[in-house]
Amino acid sequence: MEDVQVVAMLVRRCIAGDSAAWEEIVQTYNRRIYNICYRFAGSGDDAQDLTQEVFIKMYRTLSSYDHNKGAFVTWVTTITRNLLVDHFRKTKQDRMTDSIDTAAPEHEDAQPLSEQIPDQSAPPDARVRSREVGETVHAALAKLSPELREAVILRDLQDMDYREIAAVLKVPEGTVKSRINRGRAELARLLQRTYRQVM
Amino acid sequence: MPDHTSNGMQCNEFDHLLADAIDGVLSGSGLDRFQAHARVCKACGPLLAEAEAGRNWLKGLTEVEPPASLVMNILASTTGVDTQRLRVSARSPQPRISWWERVQASLFEGMLEPIWATVRQPRFAMSFGMAFFALSVGLTVAGVKPADLRQVSLRPSAIRHTYYATQARVVHYYENVRVVYQLEALARQVKRNVAPVEPSRKESRPAKQKDDKNDTTQQPEQNRERNYSQADSHLILASVPVGPSPSVFDGSKLDWSKLDPSNPDLPVVSVTTYRRFV
Repeated sequence: MEDVQVVAMLVRRCIAGDSAAWEEIVQTYNRRIYNICYRFAGSGDDAQDLTQEVFIKMYRTLSSYDHNKGAFVTWVTTITRNLLVDHFRKTKQDRMTDSIDTAAPEHEDAQPLSEQIPDQSAPPDARVRSREVGETVHAALAKLSPELREAVILRDLQDMDYREIAAVLKVPEGTVKSRINRGRAELARLLQRTYRQVM
Repeated sequence: MPDHTSNGMQCNEFDHLLADAIDGVLSGSGLDRFQAHARVCKACGPLLAEAEAGRNWLKGLTEVEPPASLVMNILASTTGVDTQRLRVSARSPQPRISWWERVQASLFEGMLEPIWATVRQPRFAMSFGMAFFALSVGLTVAGVKPADLRQVSLRPSAIRHTYYATQARVVHYYENVRVVYQLEALARQVKRNVAPVEPSRKESRPAKQKDDKNDTTQQPEQNRERNYSQADSHLILASVPVGPSPSVFDGSKLDWSKLDPSNPDLPVVSVTTYRRFV
């Protein structure tokens, strides 16, 4: 858990022009932000670009951070989430075009994951098996709607509490819980369908 | 979700407690009522199972490792954008830079930077070091001291003077070498011994000899460079009237016209001298 005073001092040093403080912030939070971007965008290249954009925005608006209003990690996650939503909106047209080009069915359930993920033979060891499962879950996560996806990512992958998620998403805690429940259930249904197809 | 009641709990209440139940924070009578509703409700029971399964799937995902270059790219991109820090530094007064410093900077960045990059390579530095070492060893062996270099004048006249002095020193040194001197003497002796063979060469060209009597360029070197100081002595007879003879020797002046070689009264004086004809 971040120490509020330490982070506040880091931010003050960074605003004062201490490049070492900024580098420490980057070293501390780049992994977290990259993982959020990777799970949301679904692509490593997009995640790298988005992470850089997040830090550029952080660097520009660092003076606007007020530690009395909330934790630094919540502020960082909010910036990340807003950028991800913007990115999703920008690329929505591209995805729709891709869907038309590939003649995909209108309903996402009509295209099972087994058609997108190549069916490979039995893995030689558990490590390969685990990696395959991870890729399958990651692909299923990308099939969720953005509202459900961001909720389950922040809760189950980033271990944020409901209050923080509500602050980031700017919705009531009840809505957060509902989105998390629906997101988990939707993901399970997608995966069950996938493995039923594979089996 | 259908809004009906089972075991005193409505489905929307079940949905509200679902997250807490999965997180394990629901307990007591609330947990009992929740579980009872899940058992009897055909909509909420499967929802609980799917939500738990989905949570387990997500918890199985591991963190991905960011690319190694990510931090460097972030630092590079953030230092190039307009930031608070850059704005603060832009407001501070900048030191005045003269045109000469700008020219020097552009010259260094444009032209000298590639050369400097080459010079900084270890291979070039090692070669330069070895060359410097060899030069310093050579100068030390030659007896050149660094202190002498301070007195070196680079004026053209001084350089010319140094050149001639050095040349004279080298020639003097060469001629004073005992071995060279002995070899030169030996060579002269050999030439002298070979000299009798030369007349045959003269006879082969008598006509030309006659025409060029005064031309000695075709003669052997030994004839041309005769060293009379080392040749046999020549006897030169000189007769001089000795004794007072007022008729011949008049005071301080000798009257050569009155000398008669046939006069038997005259004493004969034999004088042997070495004369050097150069």
